[in-house]
Amino acid sequence: MTEAAPDRQPRGRRVSLILAALVAAVAAAVAGLSLSGPDTPGPDSAEAGFARDMSTHHAQAVRMSFLVRDATEDAEVRLLAYDIINTQSAQIGMMTAWLDLWEAPKVDPGGAMRWMSGHGGHGGGGTMPGMATREQLKRLETARGEDAEALFLQLMIAHHRGGVSMAQAVLARTDHDHVERLARSMVDGQKAEIDLMNGMLRKRGAPQV
Amino acid sequence: MSKSARNRNNRQNPLTQSGPPWGTIAFFTVIGVIVVAAIGFAGWQAFKPAEKIAGLVEKDGLERTHVETPVTYETNPPMGGPHSAIWQNCDGRVYDQPLKNENAVHALEHGAVWITYRPGLSAGDVDKLKNRVEGTDYTLLSPVQGQSSPIALTAWGKQVKVDKADDKRIGEFLKAYVKGPQTPEPGAACSGGKDTP
Repeated sequence: MTEAAPDRQPRGRRVSLILAALVAAVAAAVAGLSLSGPDTPGPDSAEAGFARDMSTHHAQAVRMSFLVRDATEDAEVRLLAYDIINTQSAQIGMMTAWLDLWEAPKVDPGGAMRWMSGHGGHGGGGTMPGMATREQLKRLETARGEDAEALFLQLMIAHHRGGVSMAQAVLARTDHDHVERLARSMVDGQKAEIDLMNGMLRKRGAPQV
Repeated sequence: MSKSARNRNNRQNPLTQSGPPWGTIAFFTVIGVIVVAAIGFAGWQAFKPAEKIAGLVEKDGLERTHVETPVTYETNPPMGGPHSAIWQNCDGRVYDQPLKNENAVHALEHGAVWITYRPGLSAGDVDKLKNRVEGTDYTLLSPVQGQSSPIALTAWGKQVKVDKADDKRIGEFLKAYVKGPQTPEPGAACSGGKDTP
């Protein structure tokens, strides 16, 4: 008994060393997996909700910009519309790619804006801040020349203000690098364009909003 | 007896000193098993095949050519195939009249889900479908004559038929297929096309 003991002791230690090494390896693998976790927001996250709703919001801005380009020859308004079409289409592409990567649905049949509930009185109802109504879009479709320019600028200022509030809402809810970076660029870019558009309205003697 | 005193006693016990450290072995083994199970579960969660919607019909190899002539489709409503160059607007749009299949199929190509109902569906159910569509981008609603079920949901190459507007498969289908992976032209628009039936 006392002679067998020194033999058994190192073997036990070897076994536990091997086990410990295995556990350490597995733990490292788990740590690796969980590190990649926070970069993948879930289908109901604020990040996914933002990507979905902001894509819809942007799509309307693109549509209004095309309408005004068809309705006026004014170089300044056409250039602004060209800028909005390209910027916001590209951003839709970025947000769509996120949803693809996160394997999140592109729509929420439970209604838009749920991720923003409680912020600024929006949410739950499914209406996004700043969206033009169907009637307003109809008016923009038929307006021509300076009427179309003024209506476009007024609608787009309201649209941008809503977009800024949505971007700020996601900034308050996320620390996801890519989402933060794009949302910040939306806040800064759209705020600057609101100032620009109010200046354009002033120049035209049209009511500012 | 204090804790340290007990530990000292244990260390001095010749039985625990000389035998294999069963406690340590058991401890790490249990942790190892839990960790392996957790990884297995996470992997299964990540890679388990998406649950299939009951009654889903799928069609592969649908043609995408643009034609100006009427097309005879294999299913009613059609699930894809040759179509008009002009897409039907599908930005959460409700149509009260039947659409031309050739335009609606182009909307499917853009990633839309087309919800259709057989004329005669109860007004309550039609209202539920309208609310659903008006609140969901990249969808359109219209009646379809001669459809074999009261309600059908169609995406490019995907279709499911249901009887009632509160069937939970409607939400599942929208989540899975609005601008879903089946979309032949991701990024294409649901506005700027044909605006009337």
